[in-house]
Amino acid sequence: MKDTLYLAWRYVAYHRVKSAILIASITLIVFLPVGLNVLVTQSAEQLTSRAEATPLLLGAKGSPLELALNSLYFDAELTARTTHAEATRIDDSGLARAIPLYVRFRARDLPIVGTTLDYFDFRGLRVAEGRQIAILGECVLGAQAAKLLGTGPGGNVVSSPESVFDLAGVYPLKMNVVGVLERSFSPDDRAVFVDLKTAWVIEGLGHGHQDLTQPQAAGAVLGREGNTIQANASLVQYNEITAENRDSFHFHGSLDDFPITAVMAVPHDQKSGVILLGRYQGDEERTQIVRPEVVIRELLDTVFTVQSFVVAGILLVSAATLATAVLVLLLSLRLRRREIETLVKIGGSRGRVAFLVLSEAVIVVVVGGALAAGLTLLTHRFGSAAIRALLLS
Amino acid sequence: MRMLRSPLLVLLAGLAAACGSEDSERQAADTAAGPTRPLSVYAVNHPLAAMAERIGGADVEVTFPAPPGEDPAYWSPLPEAVVAYQGADLILLNGAGYAKWVAQSSLPASRLVDTGAGYADRLIPLEETVTHSHGPEGEHAHGGAAFTTWLDPTLALEQARAIAAAFERARPERAATFRERLTLLEEELLALDGRLDGVAEALGDAPLIFSHPVYQYLERRYGLNGRSVHWEPDEEPIGREWRKLERLLPEHAARWMIWESEPLTSVEARLEEMGIRSVVFDPCASVPPEGDFLTVMSRNVERFEAAGSPRDEGR
Repeated sequence: MKDTLYLAWRYVAYHRVKSAILIASITLIVFLPVGLNVLVTQSAEQLTSRAEATPLLLGAKGSPLELALNSLYFDAELTARTTHAEATRIDDSGLARAIPLYVRFRARDLPIVGTTLDYFDFRGLRVAEGRQIAILGECVLGAQAAKLLGTGPGGNVVSSPESVFDLAGVYPLKMNVVGVLERSFSPDDRAVFVDLKTAWVIEGLGHGHQDLTQPQAAGAVLGREGNTIQANASLVQYNEITAENRDSFHFHGSLDDFPITAVMAVPHDQKSGVILLGRYQGDEERTQIVRPEVVIRELLDTVFTVQSFVVAGILLVSAATLATAVLVLLLSLRLRRREIETLVKIGGSRGRVAFLVLSEAVIVVVVGGALAAGLTLLTHRFGSAAIRALLLS
Repeated sequence: MRMLRSPLLVLLAGLAAACGSEDSERQAADTAAGPTRPLSVYAVNHPLAAMAERIGGADVEVTFPAPPGEDPAYWSPLPEAVVAYQGADLILLNGAGYAKWVAQSSLPASRLVDTGAGYADRLIPLEETVTHSHGPEGEHAHGGAAFTTWLDPTLALEQARAIAAAFERARPERAATFRERLTLLEEELLALDGRLDGVAEALGDAPLIFSHPVYQYLERRYGLNGRSVHWEPDEEPIGREWRKLERLLPEHAARWMIWESEPLTSVEARLEEMGIRSVVFDPCASVPPEGDFLTVMSRNVERFEAAGSPRDEGR
């Protein structure tokens, strides 16, 4: 038996090209559906882990999916916005801690995330280099964002105009980079974080300009009437917040009326969470509150449906490939008829010859299967990290 | 298009999602270390720091980092000082827009304690507000409310209660102790209120001039008949300011001018010549050379009591 197996192995080794093609086919037949399944399962776990770590999301009524994607992954653009009053409302309810988010603006193609310091505590984000944002006009960068922007503490980041055709729009704000966060392997790595108030300055809701009561601004004064001063368009407005002009920055109106895209609500306990959910169920509510976990699971159900079609397709292709491999083996038997006859003539029994041919096939299948198993293990171990690196590069 | 993109985007984004948050670990560590160490409390002015110290005692470590002599209302801290505030367990705000730097800084919302939230509807709007307009936004004002709220002891009392409530939330196991200390502070503040009532009774409706527009709450609480000018104790007023005062006196025949601190001798002498006595009532926004907010307030009352009443003084 050992000699038969040796002969089979030598045959496979000698016809290395044919054997390699057959082994590769077997490997792919096994690996493709299994590996895809592993990848999708891992993705789903990671996706839901960020959603599960975010108890409740509140935003303007509209698509719950867009709200979750915008708030968790800073991806989909949210056209419907709510106001900061909703964050105050949640805080005042005593049921949850409110973390407002304003994800609207970009620096190049990276999202500028306006939030409060509570976000960093909640996500466990720590500063690796420099310090945390302290004053208006400062920003901290995710690890990958720092690489992509090629800057770090002491550098600057400029917000991108929303539309190049909006000539009368808000000037880009030059922000001071004061820190870079530790890598978190999450969408936070690609974000530029600013204080919520800085995001409002980017929008133009807060701004700094010359003091109209001072002589230096006399040229910009159109008229005075009592305590009212009207300025003309020559009034110098600042597009960078510095120590010198910081005091001139101010906001018009109540901060509670200012826009945000979402509020992350972190209930103090489970009961508080349920009560909070109930409070936003009325038809008259202009806001929606969602559990990101549920929204993402619904989305994953759709993804899994698509996946099952893909797997079915792969299985069909695999079956066809398998049939082709069997055909190749059968055809090779016909080509090897003289070789087989020689083996019989020199004393090999029919059973022994059949065992030899079968051993060759088994070797190909076993090696192919082992390679597929190895690839699956590698996918399990490094697959998500590799794609993550690809995504964040 | 969006519908087609979304599952793929989410799938890819999911691959980039965090493997887990350290938040729970940090919270657990904080909880474990928390009760064994004093609560770190930062305040935006001295009265709040003083009240926090009285209520918190050894259970809190109160910091008010503004340099002595600097007016905390207009102090502009360096980013490093703001970062120090960020590290506190609780940050005591005065409310009424006090300490402008707060609005321009990033402070953790969950650790802010607005001690003035309870009387937000009783704030006094500033009169000298400049309204201006530029661009399509229309008119807007940079005004606000008077912010020296603690000069009304009843408002200070509400601030003290807000501080005690915040301490109780942070250290529920020490709630009884905080309440006991709050009761003592309440007694002191009410006693101060009673003494100021006595001073106000002696003053009656006698006209007063305040050297700075910071006494609005004192004026309202005790029904004082005051008008404010804008003089600094350590500066000689310019001629225009003297003329403004001379024009004011016929309609508001004040015999006392209330100062935040001792005025220049030359200014005091010239006022004396005009029949106006200088009396110091220190608002005590920043750390006093000795004592604390309550002892300074007590000295303020003593100075008023010693000065008698402007009604007794002839012109």
